[in-house]
Amino acid sequence: MSAETQTLFVQHFWNDSNRTLDYYVKRMNGYESAKKVIATMTPDQVIEEVKKANIRGRGGAGFPMGMKWGFIPKNSEKPKYLVCNADESEPGTCKDRQIIRYTPHLLIEGLIIGSYAIGCHHSYVYIRGEYVREAELLNAAIEEAYKNGYLGKNVFGSGFDLDITVHRGAGAYICGEETGLLNSLEGKRGEPRVKPPFPAVSGAFSCPTAVNNVESIANVPHIIRLGGEEFAKLGKIDKSGGTRLISLSGHVNKPGVYEALAGSMTVRQIIEDFGGGVWKGKRLKAVIPGGSSSPVLTADEIDVVYDVEPLMKIGTMMGSAAVMVIDEDTDMVKLLLRITKFYAHESCGQCTPCREGCHWMESILHKILHGEAKPSDIDLLVDVAGNIGGKTLCALGDAAAMPVQSFVKKFRSEFEAYVKGQKSHA
Amino acid sequence: MEKHLSDRFYGAMSKLEPRYPNKKALILPALHQAQKEYGWLPKEVLAEVAEYIGVHEAQIREVASFYTMYNLKPVGKTHLKLCTNVACCLRGADDLMEYAEKKLGVKCGETTPDGLFTLSEEECLGACTTAPVMMANDEYVENLDIRALNELIEKVKHER
Amino acid sequence: MPKCTIDGKEVEFSPGENLVKVAKRAGVEIPVFCYHPGLSVVAQCRMCYVEVEKMPKLQTACSTMAVEGMVVKTQSEAVKKGRAGTMEFLLLNHPLDCPICDKAGECDLQDNSYGHGGAYMRHSEERRTYVDVDMGPVIQKNMNRCIHCTRCIRFGDEVAGIHEMVAIQRGNNIDITTIDGKQLKTEYAGNYSDICPTGSLTLKDFRFKKRAWMLKKTPTICEGCSKGCNMEVQHEGNVVYRCVPRENLEINQYWMCDEGRFNYRYTQDESRVLVPMKKSGGSWLVSEWDSVLSELRADLSAKEVVCLVGSDLTNEEMSAIRETMGTIAKSAKLMSFGTPGIGTASQDGPADTILKMKSKTANLNGAEKAGFAPVTGAVRAEVVVVFRGGRAELPKIEASRVYGAGVFLERDRGALTAILPGLSFLEKDGTIVNHQGKEQRLQKAITPRGRCKSTGEMLMLLLNQKAVSA
Repeated sequence: MSAETQTLFVQHFWNDSNRTLDYYVKRMNGYESAKKVIATMTPDQVIEEVKKANIRGRGGAGFPMGMKWGFIPKNSEKPKYLVCNADESEPGTCKDRQIIRYTPHLLIEGLIIGSYAIGCHHSYVYIRGEYVREAELLNAAIEEAYKNGYLGKNVFGSGFDLDITVHRGAGAYICGEETGLLNSLEGKRGEPRVKPPFPAVSGAFSCPTAVNNVESIANVPHIIRLGGEEFAKLGKIDKSGGTRLISLSGHVNKPGVYEALAGSMTVRQIIEDFGGGVWKGKRLKAVIPGGSSSPVLTADEIDVVYDVEPLMKIGTMMGSAAVMVIDEDTDMVKLLLRITKFYAHESCGQCTPCREGCHWMESILHKILHGEAKPSDIDLLVDVAGNIGGKTLCALGDAAAMPVQSFVKKFRSEFEAYVKGQKSHA
Repeated sequence: MEKHLSDRFYGAMSKLEPRYPNKKALILPALHQAQKEYGWLPKEVLAEVAEYIGVHEAQIREVASFYTMYNLKPVGKTHLKLCTNVACCLRGADDLMEYAEKKLGVKCGETTPDGLFTLSEEECLGACTTAPVMMANDEYVENLDIRALNELIEKVKHER
Repeated sequence: MPKCTIDGKEVEFSPGENLVKVAKRAGVEIPVFCYHPGLSVVAQCRMCYVEVEKMPKLQTACSTMAVEGMVVKTQSEAVKKGRAGTMEFLLLNHPLDCPICDKAGECDLQDNSYGHGGAYMRHSEERRTYVDVDMGPVIQKNMNRCIHCTRCIRFGDEVAGIHEMVAIQRGNNIDITTIDGKQLKTEYAGNYSDICPTGSLTLKDFRFKKRAWMLKKTPTICEGCSKGCNMEVQHEGNVVYRCVPRENLEINQYWMCDEGRFNYRYTQDESRVLVPMKKSGGSWLVSEWDSVLSELRADLSAKEVVCLVGSDLTNEEMSAIRETMGTIAKSAKLMSFGTPGIGTASQDGPADTILKMKSKTANLNGAEKAGFAPVTGAVRAEVVVVFRGGRAELPKIEASRVYGAGVFLERDRGALTAILPGLSFLEKDGTIVNHQGKEQRLQKAITPRGRCKSTGEMLMLLLNQKAVSA
């Protein structure tokens, strides 16, 4: 396999001059996939190709992308929308940011192909508010595309019309949840909606909508270029095609955004081969494998293949492929409190278990850390997490409950040391 | 009603209007644009945004108060937003916060008496592989350490 | 009709019905807070959990539509734990001030806590507290009691059509409020209190007046306009404490306006005339029924007699007046009055986009069907007899003698020379016809006070020519 297909993204990263249309056209076969799709393929054929590619959503839920597009009704009289989720907000994750910074045209081309496939004529990119400069870069690239006739009326002279609008968020993790995002796009509080109806039926502005992550959409030109089957073969594991961008952070020597063929590495290899091992020569204590909501792994569990099913089998998840490495000196109680505080802060507050429960868990953890808790409070904490997980309107409740349940299960002695007075918070 | 927002605001909005199927969708862009002019969002400005969008003032307030980036109170000239979430916390964000508080002489969430700085704790900024990270107004400052933080603060002080 | 199974019972449903409604028909009550049949479904409170076969997680009954063959359990262990968990969460920050809460006794939070909550409190942290703003004359706010169900926000947005009640901030810090202490503008504010499942929004008018469980409840119809909103009068010891809407999906759904809700107040007004009175030499004197009646009887034979019939009276009262006048005052001209400018049903119409009608009397349709011509302009005659309930607005009357039979406050006495005190809509039974032509029953809730008599009795006495003493 050629080096070019080994990675689809990262060889274009880290160089500011790569983000131009010129680079994209000359070095990355820019817009050839979109031209081919519009000139020679039917929308159904595009969706079929994406289905063959076995690409799972890169946002966190891992839903097969082709299926998602397939849900959009074909004969709807309403407009249809392709909305790109660039709200990258699960702690640990910062891959979409690099795509927008270094290969924005890849995303735009993906949006053209996706819009053509589902019959969308106005696509929105919902980008987190803090990415001020990234939004500017993306807007500049969109401007370039308009100027060259790749966007607007009559894309590539084909008769297909497409506009793209970048819509900035304003600081709310929950807007990464697709229906919270849609409410935010509509000018409302970013509170997730009750489902059904699903966005495919009633999404943005009550119209059929597909919401896809940046990395997912940016893969679409690659899928068309390589062909669905070839793209699927990049993945070294069933049901997962293509490559995965991995955000590696925490206590490693070389944190960064890396790319691996899906399912080709274990967690250990990611830490050692990409990250250069645990920093300062320390020993590994734990790994959060898929963003801060994913259940934590101990140092003994890291020989697992880094992909959706193998991680699910050992009770955790791949999420948005954000690996956070934790060294031996880390206080797991303190770390869990920090994670829990985040979810309590980001709870939108509409549903009871999340609004009340996340804050309660934070309070209990605060008491544990400060030596004010009873031994029974550890079990209370786990029980409260159980009353949140699986009970909430959106996945934020689960995201808050899972770290609590897994931290206590795997590092219980650290919690006990605090409640027994054997350890106190500095 | 006395107008607070400039022609630039209304110009930017009328350019955006055709890009959305209804005016309500302009609430977030309008609040961003208004904050760009004012640095924060006073009640009169929120009321004017409500009038422009054509909704009840309370509706603008409920939206604005949901999002952390909309400043409903005045902030300092340089708003330092330090991420203390997992990845940053693993790489020393707590020490940076402690240092910033001491250096600026304010607690997190406060503004210095000279109005130069507001210090805030930020949730994950989505730049975890270059942690610790901070935003100084709209700019990301990555791989932050005490030296860089100190230099940045000094620089702002000298520019005043 | 498709069928599903709820707790082993097979139930029919119409497509699109949610499990709360379907279960109710099977005799299974599913506890809810945020769900209200008149508002959009948000599935926020997480109280109405049920277990649905083949679904791994608990489902919220409010947002789950019944499907053919669906098997639902509402009493499983998982459901009980889920509901108990929600109850525990809802009470973490609730002040538990039931002893001094006006909602006590009719509080969903109390009832669901009793039915589904746990017996012990595991929470020992400080409670979240708020400083409340004043919301105007109708609603008393107490945010500490709020459980964030957002019914009030949705009511304002979806029914009252004004987005003045909002959630400020997010997460655990949410305050549900008007902004900057602004008073509620909606003319339907009382409904906020009805739909609030806790004591967070209560009626100022009812505050600390009566425990809810002491109240007797009489279903009747609001007389505030020609809409005919169904309502319940709540009273005790012959005193009315409040009126609340009753569900009628064809008329008022679940709501009523503040004007109608508080309309009852005039019936208990201190200045209501409760005894027969006569005006003598510029001042009003208490009189006797037989004295006023015999004077009226004599006056009815005058040359020019006009009998004004309020469109706030019942069908039965109207026909009794017509018959009696036909017998003893054949020359009398009968005319109806009620709302200036709205004399006929064709002149009536919606006064807003919610419930209110232009006709401020309830039986305009009945008066028109009875064939009374509406008053237009001033009424001139030698003798005028006015029959009215309490809401029909008196026209300008120029006559030497004017008898008022019905409900009058001191301020209404201007044109009158004698008063025969009658019954208000709360003190009588009868039929009224709303703007849609629907006949509805008024039901007597309280016993008339003073020496008031029903219109029927007055007319009987007038016919019988016998001396009476009341």
